[in-house]
Amino acid sequence: MRNGTPSSPSHILSQYARRSLVRFVVFSFLWYALAGSDKASWIIGVPAVLFATALSLMLASSSPLRISSAGAFHFIPFFLRQSFHGGIDVMRRALSFQQLLDPGLVSYTTLLPEGSARIFFVNTISLLPGTLSAELHGNRVTIHTLDQGLPIWANIQRLEYHVAALMCISPEKKESS
Amino acid sequence: MNILYNSGTVLIILGLPFFLSGTVGLIRFPDIYTRLHALTKADNVGLGCIVCGLALQSGSWAVTAKLLLIWLLVLIASSASCHLIARSAMHKNIQPWTRS
Repeated sequence: MRNGTPSSPSHILSQYARRSLVRFVVFSFLWYALAGSDKASWIIGVPAVLFATALSLMLASSSPLRISSAGAFHFIPFFLRQSFHGGIDVMRRALSFQQLLDPGLVSYTTLLPEGSARIFFVNTISLLPGTLSAELHGNRVTIHTLDQGLPIWANIQRLEYHVAALMCISPEKKESS
Repeated sequence: MNILYNSGTVLIILGLPFFLSGTVGLIRFPDIYTRLHALTKADNVGLGCIVCGLALQSGSWAVTAKLLLIWLLVLIASSASCHLIARSAMHKNIQPWTRS
């Protein structure tokens, strides 16, 4: 960032190096958490971490992932509460003597830009009460719902708003994409 | 310490009905899509409760981090595989069960 304009090669290179470093640190931490403090485990760990870093850089979308801490602060309680509701909802329907299901398909057009944000959004839909993402075509998500009487649109819109806040997507950018 | 241990036990016991209802849903629900609902949601909450309970009982930060990490990885794996199974069912033109 010190050397030149945002589009200069040195800037891109330094950004790339920073992304690799962040991933390397995260994967090292993952390995440490899973394998424990035994130093000998790093014989496998170092190659695994390097491999994971290279693979994730290759597979990641070119748009850099930015997570806002304020967004995460709001998103995590929202997510936990909604997952808990989802679990209770399924429990109620599974254990009830009456048939409480009224399933159906709903189509939703998301304003989130392509890439990490949209993928994250589609995956989180499946963990919320009564909804399951069944198909993603461009910006159109097909959602299967357990009960068509649930306020699905409102729930999905709220989730979309939270994901946009989490991924630092401003409303202007949201509108234009 | 004892309070932590006992509240851990309460959380673990709280998690069990979720696993049970996930399995009951898997058996009782009418089609592939509704069964996916039962498995992903109920099991994730059940696992969350059990992970939190075990973390409280462990009394160690390293074990807590490992347990939370396992929960996070299961969340990612289950929501991604749930989406993939549902998508493949849609591509095979499996119609969702509807109340009629």
